[in-house]
Amino acid sequence: MPSEYEALVAALKLTDIPFAEYAWKNRPEGTYGVVSLDFESGQLEGDGLKQDRSWEASVDVFFSRLSEREDLISTVEEILTEICGDSWELNSSTYENATGLFHVEWTCQVMDGGDA
Amino acid sequence: MPITAKVEGMEEISEMLTRLEEDGPKAAAAGLYDGAGIMAKTIESGIDGIKTAPFKYTKFGTRLPSPEEVGAIRGAIGIAKFDKNGAEVNTSVGFANAGYADVAGRQKAIALVANSINSGTSFMQKQPFFRRGASAGAKAAEAAIIKTIEQRLDEKNLK
Repeated sequence: MPSEYEALVAALKLTDIPFAEYAWKNRPEGTYGVVSLDFESGQLEGDGLKQDRSWEASVDVFFSRLSEREDLISTVEEILTEICGDSWELNSSTYENATGLFHVEWTCQVMDGGDA
Repeated sequence: MPITAKVEGMEEISEMLTRLEEDGPKAAAAGLYDGAGIMAKTIESGIDGIKTAPFKYTKFGTRLPSPEEVGAIRGAIGIAKFDKNGAEVNTSVGFANAGYADVAGRQKAIALVANSINSGTSFMQKQPFFRRGASAGAKAAEAAIIKTIEQRLDEKNLK
């Protein structure tokens, strides 16, 4: 597992947002997050063409109060900048009608110990 | 599910297209179509790897997508109509025009089902098949664009 990914998980778990890796068995009520290592370089090969070594992770935060949004976003984005440099992006921001939760998703891709 | 794969700064391609003169835009579009096709195929092949489980309502847990949900997105990926803007040709690969499918007796927008699986929800664990496929297919798509343009150069003895 890439050491930068481990650092990302550790930093997220130090925040006030409860974070789990991949999925919660029993998700908490209120605000929570999920961090996942989505793929590593060995999986980044298509049609026999070797790609650069890299890993990609995503960070998801779910919350119900819109007033929390700005603080949550800056908390996560400061950590992403610290660990991934400028190779992260806000991938999507959605509202789940079924649960009333807002869902913000970031992805970061890091090349072989450096920025993508 | 906005994935942008830009082929940028490719002096080699630019130089080849210049040599093709008025046939350059056509060759670029043909190359882009082939590249987009490879990207779509790579993403489509990732759909087979999505883990599924029969639908089960969960109040506080996380479920996997049902076989019906994955079935709805299989074969639905498409290449958007080319958008020509002067010398620029743009297209995208995705589910935007995929329409609706019957999932467990309800009509659901295929793009939303695909997004739920790719990005996850509070009740479904993400399986980023789309991002994984786009990353894996990028180099092959780029190679296909160059190959198609080179073929056009060959046909015109301009290589």
